[in-house]
Amino acid sequence: MRDFDFLEPASAAEASRMLLDEPEESRLIAGGTALMLGMRQRMLSPRRLISLGRLEALRGIDFDAKEGLRIGALTRHAELAADPAVQTHYPMLASMAARVANPQVRNQGTLGGNLCYADPATDPPGCLMALDAQVVIQGPDGERRLTIEAFLVDYYTTALEPGELITEIRLPPPAEGDRGHYARHLRTAAEHRPLVNLAAWVRQRGHGCEAARLVVGASTVVPTRVPQAEAYLMAHPPSEATVDATAELIASGITPLSDARGSAAYRREMVRVIARRSLAHLFALPLE
Amino acid sequence: MSESPIGRDTPQVNARAKVTGRAQYAGDIQLPGMLHAKVLRSPHPHARIRRIDTRAARALPGVKAVLTGADAPDALWGVHHKERRILAREVVRFAGEEVVAVAATSDEIARDALELVTIDYEPLPALFTPEAALAEGATGIHPGRNNVAHEIAFERGSVEAGFAQADLIHEATYTTHAQYPGYLEPMATVAQVDGHGRLQVWASTQSVFLARMRLAAALELPVSRIRVMQTTTGGGFGGKIVEDANSLIAALLALKTGQPVRLVNNRLEDFLGACSSLPERLTLKLGMTREGRIVAKEVTILADCGAYCGLTNEVMHVSAMRSDNMHRLENVRSHAVLSYTHTPPHGAFRGFGGTQMLFALNSHIDTMAEKLGLDPVAIHRLNAIQAGDTSIHGWEVGSTGLMECLDQCTEAIHWAEKRGRRDQAGRRRRGVGLAAAMHVSGNRTIGNWDGSTVVVKLNEDGRALVHSGECDMGQGAMTMLSQVIAHELTLPIEHIQVVPPDTDTSPFAIGTLASRVTMSGGHAAILAARKAKAQLLALAAELSGHAEETLTLIDGAVRLRDADNGEIVADLATLARQHIWRHGGEGLQVSATWDPQTRMHDDDLYGNIASAYSFAAQAVEVEVDTETGRVEVVESFVSDDCGKAFNPLAIHGQTNGATVQAIGWALYEQLQVEEGRIMNGNFADYTLATADAVPMLASGIVESNDPKGPYGAKGASETAILPGAAAIANAVHDAVGVRITDLPITPEKVLAALRAKEDADHA
Repeated sequence: MRDFDFLEPASAAEASRMLLDEPEESRLIAGGTALMLGMRQRMLSPRRLISLGRLEALRGIDFDAKEGLRIGALTRHAELAADPAVQTHYPMLASMAARVANPQVRNQGTLGGNLCYADPATDPPGCLMALDAQVVIQGPDGERRLTIEAFLVDYYTTALEPGELITEIRLPPPAEGDRGHYARHLRTAAEHRPLVNLAAWVRQRGHGCEAARLVVGASTVVPTRVPQAEAYLMAHPPSEATVDATAELIASGITPLSDARGSAAYRREMVRVIARRSLAHLFALPLE
Repeated sequence: MSESPIGRDTPQVNARAKVTGRAQYAGDIQLPGMLHAKVLRSPHPHARIRRIDTRAARALPGVKAVLTGADAPDALWGVHHKERRILAREVVRFAGEEVVAVAATSDEIARDALELVTIDYEPLPALFTPEAALAEGATGIHPGRNNVAHEIAFERGSVEAGFAQADLIHEATYTTHAQYPGYLEPMATVAQVDGHGRLQVWASTQSVFLARMRLAAALELPVSRIRVMQTTTGGGFGGKIVEDANSLIAALLALKTGQPVRLVNNRLEDFLGACSSLPERLTLKLGMTREGRIVAKEVTILADCGAYCGLTNEVMHVSAMRSDNMHRLENVRSHAVLSYTHTPPHGAFRGFGGTQMLFALNSHIDTMAEKLGLDPVAIHRLNAIQAGDTSIHGWEVGSTGLMECLDQCTEAIHWAEKRGRRDQAGRRRRGVGLAAAMHVSGNRTIGNWDGSTVVVKLNEDGRALVHSGECDMGQGAMTMLSQVIAHELTLPIEHIQVVPPDTDTSPFAIGTLASRVTMSGGHAAILAARKAKAQLLALAAELSGHAEETLTLIDGAVRLRDADNGEIVADLATLARQHIWRHGGEGLQVSATWDPQTRMHDDDLYGNIASAYSFAAQAVEVEVDTETGRVEVVESFVSDDCGKAFNPLAIHGQTNGATVQAIGWALYEQLQVEEGRIMNGNFADYTLATADAVPMLASGIVESNDPKGPYGAKGASETAILPGAAAIANAVHDAVGVRITDLPITPEKVLAALRAKEDADHA
């Protein structure tokens, strides 16, 4: 790893200014789980690391029945998994956070860092997208909010502009009838990065779904909602046939990645299997 | 009274140093003025080196040497074929081959310097497969030779006659893939030239003497100008015998710069620099009677050694013939061809060619059992070689616990209840599978001798210092030697200190390979300790006036044999000091050598190459997800016939480690090689089994008490890796009725096989 300067701003605004000083040579560091690997391999050699470690405003998890959930960007995955409010009101999120990567990463990596890295083979973005989360961004010109869909642009690419950083993640308050299920599928038990993940969220009214957000991750460049599948699910009462048809729509509605970890055809097939199992689980149908 | 440690769970004597971080590995060594080395490797599988420009790299402040093939000696190195240069000259033959080496004042500067080297390559057509390399008219990968690195052919009995008696003949082809050794500590060396011009090398190695021999040959130096010391070694699994270039490059840089040089592979470099196991394509044809007796066996192997053949000749030899010795056979034929290709070299790996053939053979037996309506366990039993037998290749089997191993693992897994569950519904199906294995304890083929020497010195405090050249790479050689000496001298194990191997001070030794250290080193230690004991008793007799035959050694002191109060005649500290005074200052120091009474095989590969043969059997239960193709091992029981477990804790450790490595090979690990380039040389993409990817492991020990083993013991570090892959493949077949013959058993292959089966069932 090459030598670098280590900067410790005292506020998000200062961090933003520091980023702008030498944008090409600067990197933010939070948990560092991805950045350190890149630097050790010299894939990245920033001359300045700007640590967010002193920014207390970026920590903490707060829940309000009206405002919903606020997750500080520096929240570690393990903290998210263990938070009582998250477990109570957003069990799908807590369950996801408890399974991300491996224990080392969960204890060190942060939610904000994970989103900014925009690695396709990870879990939080898809789950947050299904939960209709927004990221709060601090930049030189103040604050703005983006949905996860707008925030994630491409492979390892976000909508962050020079000088911007994520300060928190916001989730809308849950309502009666909200149900969610998060599934991550590893190609083999020895892998720590998901081949496919599926975040399924619905708002049930009576026998049907008033709203649905179905997001495929890890097998697509960025997590992808499948509107045709969501529409189908909302139009049909939950049943094995509905689940099968929805799973087919999900599988056919994505453009799967094809790489050393899985061909497009295999990934699409796994999306279908995992979607079917997830939806069956969500509606307590006897498929699983 | 302290109890003998033999047969008792004994923690590794070096475990505390390792877990507290105090053990010194090669990479931990810091010497004044030490330089850091880095290696630039070929990105091409085959290319001509037109020009190397090192000027910019040499001009970088802090850079002390930038070496190319032109700076390396003309000598070629290699085990069977001298064919490799320390740094490539004119031609590179695989992607990853060492081309330029840099030494600089820091690791970072050395890396910077590599980036400043420009090499003009002319890419040449590359041969990526044995088929291409062996095709008519293929260019020789090494000058003046065709691409056959080695060929083995033999027939005993008459295979034709054997097949004529068979009620069932089955032929199938199996492919096995290369496994990276995956030790925790990558290759590492520190080398320096001392004030007398001697080369001093600290290395992570399985054999200091083989390392020294190779350094001498490759650097064109007399052996006596080199000293190799083994540092704490974080695993080897065969990869740290003699096939990597790490220590050669470090030594060359030390000689050229006159400064100490440290070369530690990072993980990617280690993937590129280390040999992975030998990939083989094995075609097996077996003839059986309807009772399951094997009446003919024909083996055809095509193996790919990569660009340099290293030890793979020997590996393929094992694949070609070792499994024949497990069974009472009369008719066998084998033809094996080893081919060079423009791919990263393969080499020695735990199991040493046994895993490949035993995957094929155990899969085959399972398949034929089903066709014959037999239990595969019955076929293993019916054909098993017995103690006292001489095998078809001349191996004299002094002991075998295979029957007990089969009993133990089938009982543990509840074989009878679980095998062949046809009533399973749902998407997840379970099945059980089994495999059996045989391995050597030592191997005479290394140099037509297989002995070991142990030196015991008694210090003035009555404690023992032990010198052996056999390396502890984590498998437990130091603990084994400590146990033996402690047992023989009736000392607490804490009073034994085993000195790490050092070519200047240790007796000569082949090193840690072929599961030979407990056999040869253990015997030598027994002999040395008994020699010391005899001298102690003689001296005590002389000092005390008691007749020597009335004396014995109990609890670390010489006592009267018949005394019921255990009165001490002389303690060992007193005797040690007396020995010095009475011998003009010479302390009590003994040396003993043990060379097994084995026979080197003849030109027809007939001989008895090991003093004893160990056996193992494994039964596993797997769960197959028929929709995702995922296979999980939910239960595993390995039963190891190690003769006598004089450290059950260590045996279970070796067995469990081997089991995990076998599960990894069968299900999880896969080197992705595209156009000869390793694409996944890191642990995120080359997925070793982690703790959460294996079941709670269970293992059992069978003690067949080999008449030639030290206290009855046989080797126990490799046998347990042999049956795993086949046991898993057989369990998959039991669960879902598909036969995977091509390792690894990936979810994609399982799904494809399930679909093919479904289509066939509906056809």
